[in-house]
Amino acid sequence: MPPMKLAIIGGGPSAFYVASRLLSLVKADSTNPPLRIHMFDRLWAPHGLVRYGVAPDHPEVKASVAQDVLMRTIMNCTHKFDTAAADPRLKFFGNVNIGSSSTPSPIPHTLNLSLTSILTNYTHLLFATGCTLPTLHPFLPPSPYCLPALSLVHWYTQHPSAPPPPPLERTTHISLIGNGNVSLDVARMLLTPPSVLEKYDVPRPVLDVLNRSQVRHVSIFGRRGPLEAAFTAKELRELTNLPDAAMVPIREDVLDVKETTRQQGRILQLLRKGSKNMFGMTQKTWSLDFYRSPMGLVLPDEERGMAKLSLAHTKVDQETGRAVPTGETEEVETSLVVTSLGFRSEPSAPFYDSDLEHLRTMPGGRVIDVGDGNKEVKNVYASGWAATGAKGVLAATMMNAYGVADAILSDWLPGYQEVHTAMTPEGAGTDNVNLSQQREVMNPKPDLENVPAEVQDGLKDGVVTQYEDWKKVNEEEIRRGEGCAKERERMGWEEARVFLKRI
Amino acid sequence: MDTLTDLSQGRGTLATLRPGNDTDSSNRIKVHFKDSKGNLIKTVEANEGDDLLSIAHEYDIDLEGACEGSVACSTCHVILTPDYYDRLPEPDDEENDMLDMAFGLTDTSRLGCQVILKRELDGMSATLPSATRNMFVDGTPAPFSFDCS
Repeated sequence: MPPMKLAIIGGGPSAFYVASRLLSLVKADSTNPPLRIHMFDRLWAPHGLVRYGVAPDHPEVKASVAQDVLMRTIMNCTHKFDTAAADPRLKFFGNVNIGSSSTPSPIPHTLNLSLTSILTNYTHLLFATGCTLPTLHPFLPPSPYCLPALSLVHWYTQHPSAPPPPPLERTTHISLIGNGNVSLDVARMLLTPPSVLEKYDVPRPVLDVLNRSQVRHVSIFGRRGPLEAAFTAKELRELTNLPDAAMVPIREDVLDVKETTRQQGRILQLLRKGSKNMFGMTQKTWSLDFYRSPMGLVLPDEERGMAKLSLAHTKVDQETGRAVPTGETEEVETSLVVTSLGFRSEPSAPFYDSDLEHLRTMPGGRVIDVGDGNKEVKNVYASGWAATGAKGVLAATMMNAYGVADAILSDWLPGYQEVHTAMTPEGAGTDNVNLSQQREVMNPKPDLENVPAEVQDGLKDGVVTQYEDWKKVNEEEIRRGEGCAKERERMGWEEARVFLKRI
Repeated sequence: MDTLTDLSQGRGTLATLRPGNDTDSSNRIKVHFKDSKGNLIKTVEANEGDDLLSIAHEYDIDLEGACEGSVACSTCHVILTPDYYDRLPEPDDEENDMLDMAFGLTDTSRLGCQVILKRELDGMSATLPSATRNMFVDGTPAPFSFDCS
């Protein structure tokens, strides 16, 4: 039986969950053919969204133990990633961007590796590349007055793409567009007192900007109503519990809807209850403005002026479930619009399907080449958001990843019994897939141990990081944080590079 | 097991997490783990204060716990019978927020990591939910993709 030398593009949660599952199911002994996994991420630090996507705040501090649910998930799932990385059969290479020379890397300092180098050096390939581009609003082009939420998330997590900070010192009113959890995360980060954020994983430069913030009100606009809102109870509850902000009570008629699911019922309950602080008792406020859809944004004449956001009033068409305009409109004066409308994969990615806006897969995460007669690409898979689109919390990604791992194993080892708790990811189904022919792009007999030459050079030059490097940086970030009673003080790439050279 | 580690990971109280060490059978509480079709997977014995997730892991029952028992996911979701469900205190907001996202949620569902054994639970059954799909959170239900969100 041939060995498996798997390249994983992406080093976030789904990548680690697939790797972890493969490593634990395939024992490293003589009963199994050899398994090697090389994971590549264009960020120098592993863990993807767990490090660079999750809001670092905490709603309540009870003790020195992190009570925030998200923080605990991060700490605990990272433990699983560390365990996988400790297996000698897995190697992680950070700061490596895999793509064509015609598509520049969004991060300037990465080593670039061609996809061909991967195809010729590995037997199997997994895309765990996520959905890294923000979905924009057709009527709200990016400008100094309109940012995608992703830029703010990248700013407060100090993502290597290094977007500039939002101009919070000249911002009194923020208009968030979108009713998902990312929208609520951003609202919460902007309304939580910096003194509360100080002890946690919020970088010093970010705290400095937040300390200069003049934000008094955050409006969250959604084009449909409370029953259609995509955010969840936990995040809504955190907002209503903010220590020094209050929610504008929601109009009776907006809440006069009947839920059909338990989730909707609990959301309505929270909305009716309102915020811990009574509206009118606080300097900072926020509102959920349902049934509002942006039509355009008029930028101010002078730098310190307010922009004007025009909004159509909508209602939900009972038959289609879609938002339809009622004819009424309104204008809102705002300092900054932040669009939070979901994410999609990069169109330049190999096998990208423009209809789906991510990779198309068959059941089990097996990739379909939409550019070549919808043939299944042998030994090429996709997991996580790269395969499903940008939906699903960490646990969902984990279950998807386990299903993909099982598909990989059942394709590789004849007679492999899929473990019963793994649910086979359905992908886009098998309609229109050419099942009679497979595309073969991988190398059936590469050298088992070797690493692409460019990466080896990158390692020598200190441009490419490995997992051990990350662990040292991680310890140092925690150590630097200890100095100011803080969870950690994050390093950027240049700092990390200097630090690693020194030790 | 270090107490501080347990507490920081949201695991129950100061109970031993190694069921089976205590040879005094008067302390032992019987739990029947079943699959989604109602077939018995295993009957195990554990101690007061142990939680169902830790017990499942101790006995190699395939109950996933992605967040390692810290009420930050729904992967250890189990279904109890009404009589035993009623012997437990109501889930708090935190647990309910996670149960919202559990696949195949029922009126007698709990997160396994939050079910702490006591005498009155002797003889209980914990059923693992069935492995099908179509749950949603942060999005509309997708009829075909593995959306498990």
